Amino acid sequence: MNRQLAHLSDEALVALAARSEQSALAELYDRYGRSAYGLALRVLRDQELAEDAVQEAFLTVWRSASRFVPERGKASTWILTLVHRRAVDVVRREQRRRADSLDPAAEPSVEGVEEDAFLRLQRERVQAALRHLPDAQREALELAYYGGFTQSELAERLGQPLGTIKSRMFGGLSRMRELLGEPGTETSWTPTT
Amino acid sequence: MDAHDLTAAYALDALDADEAEAYERHLSQCDECREQLAELNETATALAFSTVAPAPPARLRASILDAAAAERTNVVPLVRRRWVSRGLAVAAAAAACIAVGLGVSLSQSSHAPQKWTVAVGQNGKATISVSGLAAAPQGKTYEAWVIPTGHAARPAGLFSGSTSAVHLSGTVPQHAVVAVTLEPAGGSKQPTTTPIFSTPT
Repeated sequence: MNRQLAHLSDEALVALAARSEQSALAELYDRYGRSAYGLALRVLRDQELAEDAVQEAFLTVWRSASRFVPERGKASTWILTLVHRRAVDVVRREQRRRADSLDPAAEPSVEGVEEDAFLRLQRERVQAALRHLPDAQREALELAYYGGFTQSELAERLGQPLGTIKSRMFGGLSRMRELLGEPGTETSWTPTT
Repeated sequence: MDAHDLTAAYALDALDADEAEAYERHLSQCDECREQLAELNETATALAFSTVAPAPPARLRASILDAAAAERTNVVPLVRRRWVSRGLAVAAAAAACIAVGLGVSLSQSSHAPQKWTVAVGQNGKATISVSGLAAAPQGKTYEAWVIPTGHAARPAGLFSGSTSAVHLSGTVPQHAVVAVTLEPAGGSKQPTTTPIFSTPT
Protein backbone atom coordinates (compact mmCIF):
# COMPACT_ATOMS: atom_id res chain seq x y z
CA MET A 1 0.00 0.00 0.00
CA ASN A 2 1.30 3.41 -0.91
CA ARG A 3 1.02 5.33 2.33
CA GLN A 4 2.41 8.43 0.64
CA LEU A 5 -1.14 9.09 -0.47
CA ALA A 6 -2.63 8.79 3.01
CA HIS A 7 -2.53 12.54 3.57
CA LEU A 8 -4.45 13.38 0.40
CA SER A 9 -8.14 14.25 0.35
CA ASP A 10 -10.57 11.94 -1.41
CA GLU A 11 -11.03 14.56 -4.11
CA ALA A 12 -7.28 14.80 -4.72
CA LEU A 13 -7.18 11.01 -5.06
CA VAL A 14 -9.94 11.09 -7.67
CA ALA A 15 -7.95 13.73 -9.58
CA LEU A 16 -4.91 11.44 -9.49
CA ALA A 17 -7.00 8.47 -10.58
CA ALA A 18 -8.12 10.57 -13.55
CA ARG A 19 -4.45 10.68 -14.49
CA SER A 20 -4.25 6.88 -14.37
CA GLU A 21 -2.50 6.83 -11.01
CA GLN A 22 -3.38 3.34 -9.88
CA SER A 23 -2.16 3.84 -6.33
CA ALA A 24 -4.82 6.54 -5.96
CA LEU A 25 -7.53 4.04 -6.87
CA ALA A 26 -6.02 1.62 -4.37
CA GLU A 27 -6.11 4.26 -1.64
CA LEU A 28 -9.75 5.08 -2.41
CA TYR A 29 -10.55 1.41 -2.19
CA ASP A 30 -8.71 1.15 1.12
CA ARG A 31 -10.83 4.01 2.46
CA TYR A 32 -14.25 3.04 1.08
CA GLY A 33 -14.04 -0.55 -0.10
CA ARG A 34 -15.32 -1.90 3.16
CA SER A 35 -18.28 0.47 3.41
CA ALA A 36 -18.99 -0.17 -0.26
CA TYR A 37 -18.97 -3.91 0.25
CA GLY A 38 -21.13 -3.67 3.38
CA LEU A 39 -23.66 -1.59 1.47
CA ALA A 40 -23.72 -3.89 -1.55
CA LEU A 41 -24.08 -6.90 0.72
CA ARG A 42 -26.94 -5.31 2.61
CA VAL A 43 -28.83 -4.62 -0.62
CA LEU A 44 -27.93 -7.78 -2.51
CA ARG A 45 -27.57 -10.30 0.34
CA ASP A 46 -25.19 -12.34 -1.75
CA GLN A 47 -21.41 -12.15 -1.45
CA GLU A 48 -20.63 -12.79 -5.08
CA LEU A 49 -23.13 -10.25 -6.38
CA ALA A 50 -21.90 -7.75 -3.80
CA GLU A 51 -18.29 -8.20 -4.93
CA ASP A 52 -19.33 -7.70 -8.55
CA ALA A 53 -21.22 -4.53 -7.69
CA VAL A 54 -18.27 -3.08 -5.78
CA GLN A 55 -15.86 -3.98 -8.58
CA GLU A 56 -18.04 -2.41 -11.25
CA ALA A 57 -18.48 0.73 -9.17
CA PHE A 58 -14.74 1.17 -8.58
CA LEU A 59 -14.00 0.55 -12.26
CA THR A 60 -16.54 3.26 -13.06
CA VAL A 61 -14.59 5.52 -10.72
CA TRP A 62 -11.43 4.61 -12.62
CA ARG A 63 -12.97 5.22 -16.04
CA SER A 64 -14.83 8.39 -15.27
CA ALA A 65 -12.66 10.04 -12.62
CA SER A 66 -11.87 12.85 -15.06
CA ARG A 67 -15.56 13.74 -15.19
CA PHE A 68 -15.94 14.02 -11.42
CA VAL A 69 -16.83 17.60 -10.43
CA PRO A 70 -15.83 18.32 -6.81
CA GLU A 71 -18.18 21.32 -6.66
CA ARG A 72 -21.17 19.03 -7.04
CA GLY A 73 -20.43 16.81 -4.10
CA LYS A 74 -17.94 14.81 -2.13
CA ALA A 75 -15.94 12.03 -3.72
CA SER A 76 -17.09 9.58 -1.05
CA THR A 77 -20.71 10.37 -1.89
CA TRP A 78 -20.00 9.81 -5.56
CA ILE A 79 -18.31 6.46 -4.97
CA LEU A 80 -20.98 5.10 -2.64
CA THR A 81 -23.74 6.39 -4.94
CA LEU A 82 -22.17 4.39 -7.77
CA VAL A 83 -22.07 1.30 -5.55
CA HIS A 84 -25.66 1.76 -4.44
CA ARG A 85 -26.99 2.37 -7.92
CA ARG A 86 -25.23 -0.71 -9.20
CA ALA A 87 -26.53 -2.85 -6.35
CA VAL A 88 -30.09 -1.60 -6.82
CA ASP A 89 -29.92 -2.22 -10.58
CA VAL A 90 -28.83 -5.79 -9.95
CA VAL A 91 -31.39 -6.48 -7.26
CA ARG A 92 -34.16 -5.27 -9.54
CA ARG A 93 -32.87 -7.14 -12.55
CA GLU A 94 -32.39 -10.33 -10.64
CA GLN A 95 -35.83 -9.98 -9.15
CA ARG A 96 -34.34 -11.19 -5.94
CA ARG A 97 -36.45 -10.95 -2.88
CA ARG A 98 -35.19 -7.86 -1.22
CA ALA A 99 -34.09 -7.18 2.26
CA ASP A 100 -37.00 -6.31 4.45
CA SER A 101 -35.62 -3.85 6.91
CA LEU A 102 -38.58 -4.42 9.22
CA ASP A 103 -37.28 -7.92 9.69
CA PRO A 104 -34.55 -7.80 12.35
CA ALA A 105 -32.67 -10.51 10.49
CA ALA A 106 -32.15 -8.10 7.60
CA GLU A 107 -29.63 -6.08 9.56
CA PRO A 108 -26.36 -8.02 9.59
CA SER A 109 -25.18 -8.87 13.05
CA VAL A 110 -22.35 -6.88 14.48
CA GLU A 111 -21.09 -9.89 16.35
CA GLY A 112 -17.86 -11.35 15.06
CA VAL A 113 -17.25 -8.39 12.78
CA GLU A 114 -14.09 -6.46 13.47
CA GLU A 115 -14.60 -2.81 12.74
CA ASP A 116 -12.21 0.04 13.08
CA ALA A 117 -13.15 2.88 15.37
CA PHE A 118 -13.95 5.23 12.50
CA LEU A 119 -16.49 2.91 10.92
CA ARG A 120 -18.09 2.12 14.26
CA LEU A 121 -18.45 5.80 15.04
CA GLN A 122 -20.05 6.53 11.66
CA ARG A 123 -22.44 3.65 12.08
CA GLU A 124 -23.51 4.71 15.54
CA ARG A 125 -24.12 8.29 14.43
CA VAL A 126 -26.21 7.37 11.44
CA GLN A 127 -28.16 4.77 13.40
CA ALA A 128 -28.85 7.34 16.12
CA ALA A 129 -30.15 9.75 13.48
CA LEU A 130 -32.38 7.03 12.03
CA ARG A 131 -33.81 6.30 15.47
CA HIS A 132 -34.87 9.91 15.77
CA LEU A 133 -37.06 9.71 12.68
CA PRO A 134 -40.77 9.00 12.84
CA ASP A 135 -41.33 5.30 12.14
CA ALA A 136 -43.07 5.90 8.81
CA GLN A 137 -40.18 8.01 7.50
CA ARG A 138 -37.55 5.55 8.69
CA GLU A 139 -39.42 2.69 7.09
CA ALA A 140 -39.63 4.50 3.75
CA LEU A 141 -35.91 5.33 3.76
CA GLU A 142 -34.82 1.85 4.77
CA LEU A 143 -37.04 0.02 2.31
CA ALA A 144 -35.99 2.31 -0.51
CA TYR A 145 -32.27 2.45 0.24
CA TYR A 146 -31.52 -1.02 1.56
CA GLY A 147 -34.42 -2.86 -0.04
CA GLY A 148 -34.05 -1.31 -3.48
CA PHE A 149 -37.80 -0.73 -3.81
CA THR A 150 -39.02 1.98 -6.15
CA GLN A 151 -41.41 4.59 -4.83
CA SER A 152 -44.30 2.95 -6.73
CA GLU A 153 -43.48 -0.45 -5.24
CA LEU A 154 -43.35 1.13 -1.81
CA ALA A 155 -46.75 2.76 -2.30
CA GLU A 156 -48.22 -0.58 -3.20
CA ARG A 157 -46.43 -2.50 -0.50
CA LEU A 158 -47.35 -0.06 2.25
CA GLY A 159 -50.84 0.60 0.91
CA GLN A 160 -50.27 4.35 0.75
CA PRO A 161 -50.74 6.92 -2.02
CA LEU A 162 -47.59 7.70 -4.00
CA GLY A 163 -47.66 11.28 -2.72
CA THR A 164 -47.44 10.02 0.86
CA ILE A 165 -44.40 7.90 0.02
CA LYS A 166 -42.70 10.86 -1.65
CA SER A 167 -43.38 13.02 1.40
CA ARG A 168 -42.03 10.41 3.76
CA MET A 169 -38.83 10.01 1.77
CA PHE A 170 -38.32 13.75 1.46
CA GLY A 171 -39.22 14.41 5.10
CA GLY A 172 -37.02 11.56 6.29
CA LEU A 173 -33.96 12.64 4.32
CA SER A 174 -34.40 16.30 5.29
CA ARG A 175 -34.66 15.42 8.97
CA MET A 176 -31.66 13.09 8.68
CA ARG A 177 -29.72 15.91 7.14
CA GLU A 178 -30.49 18.17 10.09
CA LEU A 179 -29.57 15.48 12.58
CA LEU A 180 -26.31 14.60 10.82
CA GLY A 181 -25.46 18.24 10.37
CA GLU A 182 -25.11 18.62 14.08
CA PRO A 183 -21.55 18.81 15.37
CA GLY A 184 -19.56 15.63 15.35
CA THR A 185 -21.52 13.88 12.66
CA GLU A 186 -19.18 14.27 9.73
CA THR A 187 -19.43 11.17 7.59
CA SER A 188 -16.51 11.53 5.28
CA TRP A 189 -13.05 10.16 5.78
CA THR A 190 -10.74 12.68 7.38
CA PRO A 191 -7.17 12.74 6.15
CA THR A 192 -4.55 11.95 8.73
CA THR A 193 -1.87 14.52 9.16
CA MET B 1 -45.52 14.05 -13.59
CA ASP B 2 -43.94 16.85 -11.65
CA ALA B 3 -40.24 16.02 -11.61
CA HIS B 4 -39.64 18.69 -9.02
CA ASP B 5 -40.76 16.51 -6.12
CA LEU B 6 -38.72 13.47 -7.14
CA THR B 7 -35.42 14.65 -5.71
CA ALA B 8 -35.52 12.56 -2.53
CA ALA B 9 -36.58 9.45 -4.41
CA TYR B 10 -33.81 9.99 -6.95
CA ALA B 11 -31.25 10.44 -4.18
CA LEU B 12 -32.37 7.11 -2.72
CA ASP B 13 -32.33 5.42 -6.17
CA ALA B 14 -36.05 4.78 -5.68
CA LEU B 15 -37.20 5.76 -9.17
CA ASP B 16 -37.76 3.30 -11.97
CA ALA B 17 -35.78 3.77 -15.19
CA ASP B 18 -38.35 5.99 -16.93
CA GLU B 19 -38.87 8.21 -13.91
CA ALA B 20 -35.12 8.54 -13.37
CA GLU B 21 -34.61 9.56 -16.98
CA ALA B 22 -37.38 12.17 -16.77
CA TYR B 23 -35.90 13.50 -13.55
CA GLU B 24 -32.43 13.76 -15.07
CA ARG B 25 -33.86 15.77 -17.96
CA HIS B 26 -35.51 18.07 -15.47
CA LEU B 27 -32.30 18.31 -13.48
CA SER B 28 -30.41 19.75 -16.41
CA GLN B 29 -32.77 22.74 -16.38
CA CYS B 30 -33.38 23.24 -12.67
CA ASP B 31 -30.69 24.79 -10.50
CA GLU B 32 -32.80 24.45 -7.40
CA CYS B 33 -33.15 20.69 -7.84
CA ARG B 34 -29.44 20.29 -8.54
CA GLU B 35 -28.61 22.02 -5.28
CA GLN B 36 -31.18 20.07 -3.33
CA LEU B 37 -30.05 16.82 -4.89
CA ALA B 38 -26.44 17.41 -3.88
CA GLU B 39 -27.60 17.78 -0.27
CA LEU B 40 -30.03 14.89 -0.20
CA ASN B 41 -27.62 12.64 -2.04
CA GLU B 42 -25.03 13.18 0.64
CA THR B 43 -27.56 12.38 3.34
CA ALA B 44 -28.81 9.28 1.52
CA THR B 45 -25.22 8.09 1.25
CA ALA B 46 -24.84 8.41 5.02
CA LEU B 47 -27.20 5.44 5.16
CA ALA B 48 -24.39 3.39 3.64
CA PHE B 49 -22.44 3.94 6.83
CA SER B 50 -25.21 2.71 9.10
CA THR B 51 -24.83 -0.89 8.08
CA VAL B 52 -22.37 -3.29 9.64
CA ALA B 53 -19.63 -3.81 7.13
CA PRO B 54 -17.75 -7.09 7.19
CA ALA B 55 -14.33 -6.91 5.55
CA PRO B 56 -14.57 -7.76 1.85
CA PRO B 57 -12.48 -10.71 0.70
CA ALA B 58 -8.87 -9.69 -0.02
CA ARG B 59 -9.21 -10.93 -3.61
CA LEU B 60 -11.66 -8.12 -4.35
CA ARG B 61 -9.01 -5.43 -3.99
CA ALA B 62 -6.58 -7.31 -6.23
CA SER B 63 -9.31 -8.02 -8.75
CA ILE B 64 -10.29 -4.35 -9.02
CA LEU B 65 -6.70 -3.14 -9.36
CA ASP B 66 -5.85 -5.82 -11.93
CA ALA B 67 -8.89 -4.93 -14.00
CA ALA B 68 -8.06 -1.23 -13.77
CA ALA B 69 -4.47 -1.85 -14.91
CA ALA B 70 -5.66 -4.02 -17.79
CA GLU B 71 -7.95 -1.29 -19.07
CA ARG B 72 -5.11 1.21 -19.23
CA THR B 73 -2.75 -1.30 -20.87
CA ASN B 74 -5.18 -1.62 -23.72
CA VAL B 75 -4.87 2.02 -24.57
CA VAL B 76 -1.23 2.06 -25.59
CA PRO B 77 -0.90 -0.63 -28.29
CA LEU B 78 -3.43 1.15 -30.50
CA VAL B 79 -1.06 4.06 -30.71
CA ARG B 80 1.92 1.79 -31.12
CA ARG B 81 0.51 0.05 -34.17
CA ARG B 82 0.06 3.39 -35.89
CA TRP B 83 3.71 4.20 -35.39
CA VAL B 84 4.72 4.82 -39.01
CA SER B 85 1.39 5.79 -40.45
CA ARG B 86 0.73 9.36 -41.43
CA GLY B 87 -2.00 11.33 -39.76
CA LEU B 88 -1.76 9.65 -36.43
CA ALA B 89 -5.00 9.44 -34.54
CA VAL B 90 -4.44 11.48 -31.45
CA ALA B 91 -6.53 12.30 -28.46
CA ALA B 92 -7.42 15.93 -28.16
CA ALA B 93 -5.35 17.59 -25.51
CA ALA B 94 -7.01 20.12 -23.30
CA ALA B 95 -6.28 23.44 -24.97
CA ALA B 96 -3.84 25.86 -23.37
CA CYS B 97 -3.28 23.81 -20.27
CA ILE B 98 -0.94 21.09 -19.28
CA ALA B 99 -1.39 17.99 -21.37
CA VAL B 100 -0.56 14.69 -19.83
CA GLY B 101 -0.12 11.44 -21.68
CA LEU B 102 -0.05 8.22 -19.79
CA GLY B 103 0.56 4.67 -20.61
CA VAL B 104 1.37 1.33 -19.14
CA SER B 105 3.15 -1.35 -21.09
CA LEU B 106 4.10 -4.77 -19.91
CA SER B 107 7.77 -5.52 -20.09
CA GLN B 108 8.52 -8.71 -21.97
CA SER B 109 11.32 -9.71 -19.70
CA SER B 110 9.89 -9.09 -16.27
CA HIS B 111 6.62 -9.09 -14.41
CA ALA B 112 6.96 -5.52 -13.28
CA PRO B 113 4.64 -3.33 -15.34
CA GLN B 114 6.22 -0.19 -16.68
CA LYS B 115 4.38 2.96 -15.95
CA TRP B 116 4.98 5.92 -18.19
CA THR B 117 3.80 9.47 -17.78
CA VAL B 118 4.42 12.30 -20.20
CA ALA B 119 3.81 15.78 -18.89
CA VAL B 120 3.86 18.66 -21.37
CA GLY B 121 4.02 22.16 -19.95
CA GLN B 122 2.36 25.19 -21.45
CA ASN B 123 5.70 26.17 -22.97
CA GLY B 124 5.86 22.84 -24.81
CA LYS B 125 8.70 21.47 -22.71
CA ALA B 126 8.04 17.86 -21.84
CA THR B 127 9.19 15.33 -19.28
CA ILE B 128 8.81 11.59 -19.45
CA SER B 129 8.57 9.79 -16.13
CA VAL B 130 8.89 6.06 -16.03
CA SER B 131 8.95 3.41 -13.35
CA GLY B 132 9.66 -0.29 -13.72
CA LEU B 133 11.93 0.15 -16.75
CA ALA B 134 15.00 -2.10 -16.82
CA ALA B 135 18.36 -0.52 -17.62
CA ALA B 136 19.18 -0.55 -21.33
CA PRO B 137 21.23 -3.63 -22.32
CA GLN B 138 25.00 -3.33 -23.02
CA GLY B 139 25.61 -1.37 -26.21
CA LYS B 140 22.04 -0.02 -26.31
CA THR B 141 20.32 3.14 -25.18
CA TYR B 142 16.74 4.30 -24.82
CA GLU B 143 15.87 7.12 -27.15
CA ALA B 144 12.90 9.45 -26.82
CA TRP B 145 11.12 10.79 -29.90
CA VAL B 146 8.70 13.57 -30.65
CA ILE B 147 6.51 12.94 -33.67
CA PRO B 148 4.44 15.95 -34.78
CA THR B 149 1.25 14.92 -36.56
CA GLY B 150 2.07 13.88 -40.11
CA HIS B 151 5.81 14.37 -39.70
CA ALA B 152 8.86 12.20 -39.19
CA ALA B 153 10.09 11.40 -35.71
CA ARG B 154 12.51 13.88 -34.17
CA PRO B 155 15.14 12.62 -31.66
CA ALA B 156 14.41 14.12 -28.23
CA GLY B 157 17.07 12.63 -25.97
CA LEU B 158 18.89 9.49 -24.86
CA PHE B 159 18.63 7.82 -21.48
CA SER B 160 19.86 4.65 -19.85
CA GLY B 161 16.77 3.52 -17.96
CA SER B 162 18.31 4.13 -14.56
CA THR B 163 16.77 7.58 -14.45
CA SER B 164 13.08 7.96 -13.70
CA ALA B 165 12.50 11.38 -15.26
CA VAL B 166 13.73 12.40 -18.69
CA HIS B 167 13.49 15.98 -19.90
CA LEU B 168 12.96 16.03 -23.63
CA SER B 169 15.01 18.31 -25.84
CA GLY B 170 13.08 20.86 -27.90
CA THR B 171 9.38 21.33 -27.55
CA VAL B 172 6.38 19.11 -28.15
CA PRO B 173 3.82 20.57 -30.58
CA GLN B 174 0.15 20.09 -29.80
CA HIS B 175 -1.13 16.59 -30.61
CA ALA B 176 2.39 15.28 -31.24
CA VAL B 177 3.15 11.70 -30.27
CA VAL B 178 5.88 11.06 -27.75
CA ALA B 179 7.58 7.67 -28.03
CA VAL B 180 10.56 5.71 -26.75
CA THR B 181 12.58 3.05 -28.57
CA LEU B 182 15.65 0.97 -27.78
CA GLU B 183 18.50 2.03 -30.07
CA PRO B 184 22.20 1.24 -30.53
CA ALA B 185 24.45 3.18 -28.13
CA GLY B 186 24.82 6.76 -29.32
CA GLY B 187 21.26 6.87 -30.59
CA SER B 188 19.71 6.90 -34.05
CA LYS B 189 18.44 9.63 -36.33
CA GLN B 190 15.22 7.74 -36.93
CA PRO B 191 13.74 4.96 -34.80
CA THR B 192 15.00 1.52 -35.82
CA THR B 193 12.94 -0.61 -33.44
CA THR B 194 9.33 -0.86 -32.41
CA PRO B 195 8.54 1.64 -29.66
CA ILE B 196 8.35 0.25 -26.15
CA PHE B 197 6.09 3.16 -25.35
CA SER B 198 4.21 5.80 -27.26
CA THR B 199 1.35 8.11 -26.45
CA PRO B 200 -0.41 11.06 -28.00
CA THR B 201 -0.18 14.26 -26.01
